[in-house]
Amino acid sequence: MKKTIGFLLAGIAGGIGSGMFGIGGGIVLVPIFGLFLAFDQHKAQGTSLVALIPPTGLLAVLAYAKAGYVYWLTGAVLIPGLFLGGIAGAKIAKRIEPRRMRQVFAVLLFLLGAWQVIGTWRH
Amino acid sequence: MTPIVLIIVLVIGLCAGTLVGLLGIGGGVVLVPAMVHLLHMDQHAAQGTSLFVLLPPIGLGAFLEYRKKGNVDLHAGILCAVGMLLGGYIGGKIAVPMPTVRLTQLFGVFLMFSAVLLWAKASKPASTLGQASAPKGES
Repeated sequence: MKKTIGFLLAGIAGGIGSGMFGIGGGIVLVPIFGLFLAFDQHKAQGTSLVALIPPTGLLAVLAYAKAGYVYWLTGAVLIPGLFLGGIAGAKIAKRIEPRRMRQVFAVLLFLLGAWQVIGTWRH
Repeated sequence: MTPIVLIIVLVIGLCAGTLVGLLGIGGGVVLVPAMVHLLHMDQHAAQGTSLFVLLPPIGLGAFLEYRKKGNVDLHAGILCAVGMLLGGYIGGKIAVPMPTVRLTQLFGVFLMFSAVLLWAKASKPASTLGQASAPKGES
């Protein structure tokens, strides 16, 4: 029972992150599984994927759509590119050293985040 | 949508998808900034559109790979999905009425936080699926 509540709370936390920032939610779920529910890393990632298969963002999409914040056409055009790109990326990943790639990307992501925060000061 | 914009959108999808496959990260952290900076959408519209794009089960193939190795707790995952549906609604309700500038700042902080998590994953030795000493990070 205690575990059941823990899983539900993890989902709610992941969902809030997803709805607030327009992201999938895995980046929130995996650390929660690992840190608070004592899952090992692979099990955390595999279980997070289960939670991401159903369209859990549906209510969030509806909340944005009601306010006119969903560009349906742009979104529909993005989907095939993402799907094909995902396959290409997985193939490339087999040939290169992924650790270095992650580090480079982490730095870029950090700078992008900092740029967004600093950019708003001018407003 | 003009042909040039159409091509830009297709290329963004392809690039974001490549990063997803390459790094095992969620598409949203790449999609949202790309839509804001390259398509000049505002933060709310980028997030709403990203959520729509992420509705189909993009991670299905990856899930099957993990299940082969027994690294899946279905019970926990299903409970979590129920929570996410609810949490997504709450998150949407918080973000939608928020001023765009404030939301952009929060998103920036969130990106920096994600970057730290990603770096932590990268700094551990690489290992193959199913080994005990797994690299840290998200799906």
